[in-house]
Amino acid sequence: MNVTLTEKEILQEKTEYTGVHPQKFALWIAMASMTMFFAALTSALLVKKGDYRSWEGFTLPTVFLFSTFAVIGVSVCIHAALLSYRKSKFAQFRWLMFFSFLLGCLFLMLQLKGWSVLQAVGMTLTENLSGSFLYVITAAHGVHIAVGLLVMLVFIVNAFKNRKDPIYELRDIINPKRQLHLELLVSFWHYIDAVWVYLYIFFFLNYR
Amino acid sequence: METATAAHTDHHADVHGHEEHHHEETFLTKYIFSQDHKMISKQFLITGIFWGIVGGLLSVLFRLQLGWPNETFPFLESFLGKWAEGGKISQEFYYALVTMHGTILVFFVLTGGLSGTFANLLIPYQVGSRDMASPFINMLSYWFFLGAGVVMFFSFFIQTGPASGGWTAYPPINGLRDTAVNLGSGLGFDLWILGMTLFIVSALLGGLNYIATVLNMRTKGMNMFRLPLTIWALMFTAVIGVLSFPALLAGCVLLEFDRLLDTSFYLNNIIINGNLLGYKGGSPILFQHLFWFLGHPEVYIIILPAMGLVSEVLSTHSRKPVFGYKAMVFSILAILVLSFIVWAHHMFVTGLNPNLGAIFTLFTLLIAIPSAIKVFNWIGTVWRGKVRLSTANLFAIGFVSMFISGGLTGIILGNSAIDIQLHDTMFVVAHFHIVMGVSAFFGMFAGVYNWFPRLYGRYMNETLGLIHFYVTLIGAYAIFFPMHFMTGLPRRYYTYANFETFNNFNFLAEFISIAAIIVFLGQVLFVINFFYSIFKGRRVEVEKTVDGYDYGNPWGTTTLEWSSPIERLHGNWPGDIPAVHRWPYDYSVNGREYIPQTEALKPGEVPHE
Repeated sequence: MNVTLTEKEILQEKTEYTGVHPQKFALWIAMASMTMFFAALTSALLVKKGDYRSWEGFTLPTVFLFSTFAVIGVSVCIHAALLSYRKSKFAQFRWLMFFSFLLGCLFLMLQLKGWSVLQAVGMTLTENLSGSFLYVITAAHGVHIAVGLLVMLVFIVNAFKNRKDPIYELRDIINPKRQLHLELLVSFWHYIDAVWVYLYIFFFLNYR
Repeated sequence: METATAAHTDHHADVHGHEEHHHEETFLTKYIFSQDHKMISKQFLITGIFWGIVGGLLSVLFRLQLGWPNETFPFLESFLGKWAEGGKISQEFYYALVTMHGTILVFFVLTGGLSGTFANLLIPYQVGSRDMASPFINMLSYWFFLGAGVVMFFSFFIQTGPASGGWTAYPPINGLRDTAVNLGSGLGFDLWILGMTLFIVSALLGGLNYIATVLNMRTKGMNMFRLPLTIWALMFTAVIGVLSFPALLAGCVLLEFDRLLDTSFYLNNIIINGNLLGYKGGSPILFQHLFWFLGHPEVYIIILPAMGLVSEVLSTHSRKPVFGYKAMVFSILAILVLSFIVWAHHMFVTGLNPNLGAIFTLFTLLIAIPSAIKVFNWIGTVWRGKVRLSTANLFAIGFVSMFISGGLTGIILGNSAIDIQLHDTMFVVAHFHIVMGVSAFFGMFAGVYNWFPRLYGRYMNETLGLIHFYVTLIGAYAIFFPMHFMTGLPRRYYTYANFETFNNFNFLAEFISIAAIIVFLGQVLFVINFFYSIFKGRRVEVEKTVDGYDYGNPWGTTTLEWSSPIERLHGNWPGDIPAVHRWPYDYSVNGREYIPQTEALKPGEVPHE
């Protein structure tokens, strides 16, 4: 006998202990894990900065300040998208998601621009450890952003593809799983944006 | 969803016609892309057994070299080819064997195979939930694990051979892709990094699921202090994993940048054949910090699940409550905290500031306290119990023995001053193999023998099990105990022929090698027993049949896993999830042999807490 319960049935049975959905809780743990990853990289930077006599400081390109604004823009936009989703304003939701996506892409382009500015002043990947760390850490962060963008794209494609389907929209209103997944995405973006803000401040303080 | 509910309702209406309602589970969804925690557990276990055989075989091969350095074994050439020309294992391959033996057993068997198997099997069952927080991510966890394994296994078959720079992957040797320096530092090591990256992803995906499930998805009445110790141990293991594996990942990312893109994170002023390479400013010690920030917690990732399993098995098979339940929980917590602040005791001889060494010595020795509490409590659990000498319980008792033997040398090695003498000698090999390797294996065997009926509805063969136990116990001591007395013998050497002073260890080396071969054959017995029992083992006795489901409880355990039918059922319980009314160790109380957690308190009965 095999009574197969769907994932949703399994999940809806209870979340009474922490009041948080288990998958959201799992995402928080993943955030702790990612925090450890970036903490390891930035503390490695601090250690090397401390013990390497030929550490070459350089001025952080201003482009990275603009990418910080871009990433804050993503957070604002995608959160507004979540709020409009909750109010069932789906047209607004779609466009806000789209803008978030554009801002996310803008962020990645600004990061690349930042790299080319560094190249232009001669700070290549292998020139000095100080530069190497900046490239590696921004790349590692960029990979997280890129993954976030891919997932965001799935949401956007679904939302636009089904925009004329009233039943799909109806299910948007009553389907808690779809809302949960959106909340997970938004939380991830807030997190990874905050990581960049941390990294920016960290770089700003360490590259002078 | 609708169909599932329909099948669900139908079942209550028509209990005998249930065969017709086989929910669309094809071979692919049932065995391959399963999201059922029990099936994923079996996948982890069988993959782990495969890796156990490979890892064990590698050790037999390098023991041939260590035991009989002057002999040749022509049969080796026929299946190792150029790695054993003339029947003698080549130097390059010897180092590859040692490296891959460590990697495979530490990560693929005792992390993936052990945590993966038992966290998947026991967490949903024993906390009372239908499945993991995210069954899909759980499936991904297995598939990343398998992918990591495929990559690692593939590296055995490339021209330059697998990684051979030690399982700790230290630069500078592993930071250079130059195969003229070291064969295994070529493509083999790139594959090692790729394999480990996939493995880390697997461990992280699994770990966050385990934690979320334990904290969020417990059944009604299952408060934290009603959780079996297995669950506490597996959850804390996962916490250690998600916090420490990222550091290794960071370390590996920087290492691969050094290798492929010529950065200098770990390399500085390298001279090869008189040529100064362009690396400047890096420090290999930085890698050691990042590596051991995972590496030390990793040994607790290995041993904690074994401790949890052993606590449960000892209590069940001694028919006695676990002695000092809360002390056990807080000991695990203490080990968790300490595990993060002792990593530099692996680095005492790297030129570490001696004052810093003193601090790390202090924290290291502090671990003896929770460990001793746990040992005391295990002995207290067995003390004057109605001990069943079943294979599962013997392995659990063997675990305690091994853990004590290995733990004692840990106190010696934890001292930064003594470590100057003992570092990288066979004494260290003896210590960590006994306390972590063999102990964890004993815990895992106790778990497999004990929960095999839950996995397959059948028992493993007890006679073969007993032979397996005695061969392993005596054999493991025979292998590792003499190593303590090989004073000053450096580890990882290909041959000691050039050192007059070590000649007097030749007999011991030969003895150890013979013991290793016998123990390996003993494990083959286990593998035969395991697969034979899946199909032909004695079936679990049916105690009662309700609504067409057969229920049993082979060891008379109190925990929730046996409140579920013997048959594998996605969702675990055909009806509602049972509520929990008491702690998990009500053995030999109120004149009863055991009282299941699901049984309500009698009027006037005082609960344990």
